[in-house]
Amino acid sequence: MEQMRANGSAISFEQGETVLSALKRAGIRVPTLCHIECLPPVGACRICVVEDTATGQLIPSCSFPAAPGLSVATHSVKALRARKTIVELLLANHPDDCLYCDRNLTCDLQKLAEELGVRQRRITGERIAQFVDNSSPAIMRDPEKCILCGKCVRTCEEIQGVSALDFSGRGSKSRISTAFDRSLNLSTCVACGQCVMACPTGALTERSSLREVLNALQDPKKTVVIQHAPAISVSLAEEFGLPAGSDIMGLMTAALKKIGFTAVFDTSFSADLTIMEEATELVERVKGGGVLPMITSCSPAWIKFAETFYPTVLPHLSTCKSPQQMLGAVIRHYWADTQGLDKKAVYSVSAMPCTAKKFEAEREEMLVKGAPDIDAVLTTRELAKLIRMYSIDLGKLEPVACDLPFGERSSAGKLFGASGGVMEAAIRTAHYLITGRELENLVVAAVRDGEGLRETTLTLGGLTLKAAVVSGLGSARKVLDEVAAGKSPYHFIEIMSCPGGCINGGGQPRGLDRDNVKKRLAALYAIDAAATLRVSHKNRAVADLYGKFLGKPGGHLSHELLHTTYQARTDLL
Amino acid sequence: MNEEKRNILLVDDDPDFLEPVRMLLAAHGYTVETAHSEEGALTCLENFKPDLAILDLMMDHYDSGFIVGHKLKGRYPDAKVILATGVTGETGYRFAADSEYGANWTGADLIMDKGIRPDQILREIKRLLGA
Repeated sequence: MEQMRANGSAISFEQGETVLSALKRAGIRVPTLCHIECLPPVGACRICVVEDTATGQLIPSCSFPAAPGLSVATHSVKALRARKTIVELLLANHPDDCLYCDRNLTCDLQKLAEELGVRQRRITGERIAQFVDNSSPAIMRDPEKCILCGKCVRTCEEIQGVSALDFSGRGSKSRISTAFDRSLNLSTCVACGQCVMACPTGALTERSSLREVLNALQDPKKTVVIQHAPAISVSLAEEFGLPAGSDIMGLMTAALKKIGFTAVFDTSFSADLTIMEEATELVERVKGGGVLPMITSCSPAWIKFAETFYPTVLPHLSTCKSPQQMLGAVIRHYWADTQGLDKKAVYSVSAMPCTAKKFEAEREEMLVKGAPDIDAVLTTRELAKLIRMYSIDLGKLEPVACDLPFGERSSAGKLFGASGGVMEAAIRTAHYLITGRELENLVVAAVRDGEGLRETTLTLGGLTLKAAVVSGLGSARKVLDEVAAGKSPYHFIEIMSCPGGCINGGGQPRGLDRDNVKKRLAALYAIDAAATLRVSHKNRAVADLYGKFLGKPGGHLSHELLHTTYQARTDLL
Repeated sequence: MNEEKRNILLVDDDPDFLEPVRMLLAAHGYTVETAHSEEGALTCLENFKPDLAILDLMMDHYDSGFIVGHKLKGRYPDAKVILATGVTGETGYRFAADSEYGANWTGADLIMDKGIRPDQILREIKRLLGA
């Protein structure tokens, strides 16, 4: 470690590190707008300028290399004035409708304006009228609120490898657009929502379903039920100012009951159900000479990515619906009957860490006899808004358990919230299905947290299976290129669209804070370590569902309700 | 293909929307009648009973879609109506038919924002017709 100086004190840095990174480690906060921690710096917005005390020059800390002898002042009068001017210039042509904006009180630009003491519109710029694009079922785009930081473009291209968005136009007419300015719904956007997580303003938001859910809750003719995804209970807390990684499963369920949902179910239950179907499908493919490698199908943005960019790999995708859709299907076609309810009177809501789940719920393939599995999807952020709207104080609630029969889950189902979790759960059950014995050590460390591609080789009763896990669609491309070329060495691949899996999904609390994601991951692993039921095939409620309704995994009714098909897409590339 | 042929009325003053959607619906076995104005739609309804109508909102008048929807429902109460519109993008106004109140005053069962994918429109037709 070498040393430089910041605000008169020595701070350490590593060779090749930027000033911003060194400052962060030293606990000195410098605001940023265009910076994305895991990507190379671009230095586009200049908000992070600090003053070089030797020359008096302003340097962008995000892209300036730390060097021995360098001395910076992070909050000198000059640096603060420069930052304030930059914010004033950004606000010069920014709409003044903060009160009506989705990002009101959570907007990075609004926070900076407040921090830097902007109290008047000193500079007025020309505003170009642009249309709101609300065509996508998942993501809304309001280009007038865009400050051209480029984070969405870089996230979409460099992290997700999708490139649905890019800069177009020049100079003052620069803007972010899709190919040929088509609406987002007709573009190659896979609805993962990582751009929404990156956006510092209200230019990119999820398409809210709150109004529909509120209408349903107030409709006496409807029975409104909700399911919540495995990753939600360890991330919702952050929306209420609690530490990242806090598990508020019981409180969240209590809040939802208080809001008026007739039943609150746990999607981890149907994650167990998914494992029963998926592990059965894998064993059938391996033993019966089916298409291998088999690739998981839980992540709807990944599905649209495959349909758009890799249509030749579609036969490799498991035909299993995602846990959200599976639970939606059994709620409507089984639970409704057990409660003596009209199937069509059940309004099925899901709370998901994901924007692409909104797209998935509206897929044509997810209709069974004209009835959708899921009626409305709320992101973690929308769920927090709903709880706040009902003035519920989480601190004053007593935790309650989810409703039966879809409230019992194994911790393997809970692991679906993390990249590698589906694989780990599947390995635990596949081992049992093939050998008749439980895995000796249930923790499959090789597929647990780590960057990029993780792989493991398993020997299951004479069968050797090679498995791989990858998250982030950009990272998945190499694996998929091998599959498309028929050169993949694997039998089973888990792909999650968002880097790190659902704990970092596009519907989660905003920002790209990797430390928070690690804490959510640690919380999921802690839940698994403490659990007594850790394998999907021992979930009695799942066995009961097969006994009373579905028959057997991979059976006729399972195929009708729990499996789906995919379609190659011809969107413009 | 549907086992039973269902009638769809498609109304839009934009041929770039009207024609591809007409071809899509015809290819999926629906009997489609088209009109490109409020007046044309009302004339068409004299001799055509749709199971479902897909209506643009702003045509001859700003509220043409609402007018056609209401008149259609008055004449054929069981018919379903989808308003396919770009009104939010162009004016900022947002309309919704997801409550009884919203459905009553708009005369629609569903309001879709334009930029609609082919699979999306087929899905909504199947959902509304219960197919």
